[in-house]
This record gives sequence, C-alpha cells and structure tokens, in this order.
Amino acid sequence: MYSVILPTYQERRNLPIIVWLLAKTFNENKLPWEIIIVDDASPDGTLQVAEQLQTVYGKDHIVLRPRTGKLGLGTAYIHGLQFCSGDPEDSFVIIMDADLSHHPKFLVEMIKKQKDQNADIVTGTRYISGGGVYGWDLKRKIISRGANLLAKVALWPGVTDVTGSFRLYKRQVVSNLISRTISRGYVFQMEIIVRAVAMGYKVAEVPITFVDRVYGESKLGGDEIVSYAQGIVALVKTDLTK
Amino acid sequence: MSRLQVLGTWATILTTLYLLLSFNVVKIPFVSNQIKDQIVPCLPFNLLVTFGSYCLWELGMGVLTFGECEEAYKELQLEIKEATEDLRAKGVEVD
Repeated sequence: MYSVILPTYQERRNLPIIVWLLAKTFNENKLPWEIIIVDDASPDGTLQVAEQLQTVYGKDHIVLRPRTGKLGLGTAYIHGLQFCSGDPEDSFVIIMDADLSHHPKFLVEMIKKQKDQNADIVTGTRYISGGGVYGWDLKRKIISRGANLLAKVALWPGVTDVTGSFRLYKRQVVSNLISRTISRGYVFQMEIIVRAVAMGYKVAEVPITFVDRVYGESKLGGDEIVSYAQGIVALVKTDLTK
Repeated sequence: MSRLQVLGTWATILTTLYLLLSFNVVKIPFVSNQIKDQIVPCLPFNLLVTFGSYCLWELGMGVLTFGECEEAYKELQLEIKEATEDLRAKGVEVD
C-alpha cells in the first residue's frame, strides 16, 4: 500500500489537481494507493473540496483526517501516519508538497528504485543531472545552494538535496525517524534524512523537477535563514544515531 | 557520537600534531628541520584557504549548473487545465 500524507493549509485551489495527478499516476501503474489529507482548519474551504474529491475517488482512496488548528508539519505527519492502512511491513509512505511544486509522475521512478535496491528511503533531489527548479532567480538559487552547502559541511548528510521534501519511505522507517526528530520548518525535513543516513538506512536518490509558482509571494526572510542556521547547530550537537 | 564530537576529536588530533611538529618533539623522516620550519607554520592557513576555496567552488559550480525546467512548468499548466475540466465535470469545485 502506498499512502500519501498530504498536510494542507489553504490549498483549496491546488488540492483537486494534486489528487487528480496522484490518482492518475497510481491507477496507470496499477498500484494500491490512498491519500491521507490532514487539513489544519483552512479557512478557505479546503476541506469542502476534499470531501467532494472523496465522493469522486472513494473513501478508501481519499482519507480525511482534519485537525482543529494550524499545528505544524511534523505533527501533521505523525497524525497522518496513524491512519495508514495496509500491511505495516510492506507499506510505504510518501511525503510531498501539496502546492504542485512536486509532481506525482516522479513516484513511478521512486517506486521502481525502491524495489530495485530495496531502499528504505528514496528522496527526490533537485541538484543532480535531470533535476531542476523553475521559477527561481539568481538570489534564490544562491540561497538554496548556500543552505545545502552549510548542511553538507556541518552534517555530512550523504544526500545531495538536504532540504528537499519529496520522499518515499518504508512505513516503519518513517515512523521510527519522525519519533526522534527535534526540529521544525526546513530543518525538520533535513533532520529526518540526516538521521536516516546516520542510523544506517539505505537511501536512494531520484532527480526531480521543482516548479515553484509561489516564489515571489512567499518571502524567504532573514528570520527563516537564522532559524535554519540555529537548527543546523542543534543537529550538529546531537547524536543522530540514537 | 555527534558531529560536533567528531569534529572536536579531529581538531584535537591535528592541533596536537601541529604543536608537536612545531616544537620539534617529533620529526618527519627525510625532511630537515629547516624545511619543516618553513612549511609547518603555514599549514593552518593553508587549511583555511583550502576550505574556503572548496566552499566557493561548490557554491559557484552549484549555481552555474543549476538545472532549469521550463518544460515542466508548461507541462504542468496543461495538466492543470485537463484536471480542472475533468473534475468539474464530476462535480468538484475547482477554482
């Protein structure tokens, strides 16, 4: 079973599209799937659209587990994990953005790679040949590469794209890793993968394209950069094998 | 061990080695003291410059070779259109 955990906040416009693309990808490849939508009380009616999608695709494919407030990404995953169905020893969890920056078509390659290498985790990377980003200016690219370099020098992560959040995990692996995390925000995604490598899990990579349609609306401010640096410092001081 | 502990261990080992060499407590075989005295004091600075160059290289090359994906954007636009029509026909409100 492939469970996609989709935390949503104000994704009324993107949710139908991402669900449509996921359904198309899974059905075309004859894979058992479910999407667990964890909506944090979006005021724009995201949940209503989710309910309509449930009517179209069925309750066994679209699982709604909303929460009563904006509680953050990490807890959204922990919450969603409780509702995954299928054999726990042979099930997978997919984590991705709901805003269409991550395209479901890459799941085919990720799933194939997981099977070929019996990988515990397959992570999408924007930085290797075949990957890329649309919609970023020079400044944003420099920040992205800079952040990745900082993480590389400080943490020796073993993957080329540390802050990426488009990943396929074996269900038990992600449960184990998430229960140990201490960070928030961008650093949270990075912590999971760095811990995984430190603990000896097998991580494979697949190049992905990232289409950023919201850059320009969301400002990457000084605050976020500072908290990222603080997050890295916290991880450098932590024994990540525990 | 945390990354900090590993780094600390290496820093201690390298610093000790540097000090031992500087104060002639240990000798490098086949290298005279005269030559050693010209090289060893420069090593910390050399290390710093090497590290700085590495970072600059990684950053510069990374930005220069950053992949673009205009086709992915265009493909997505078409898919959004297709998905919107399909879902509206099935009763989903797509803005």
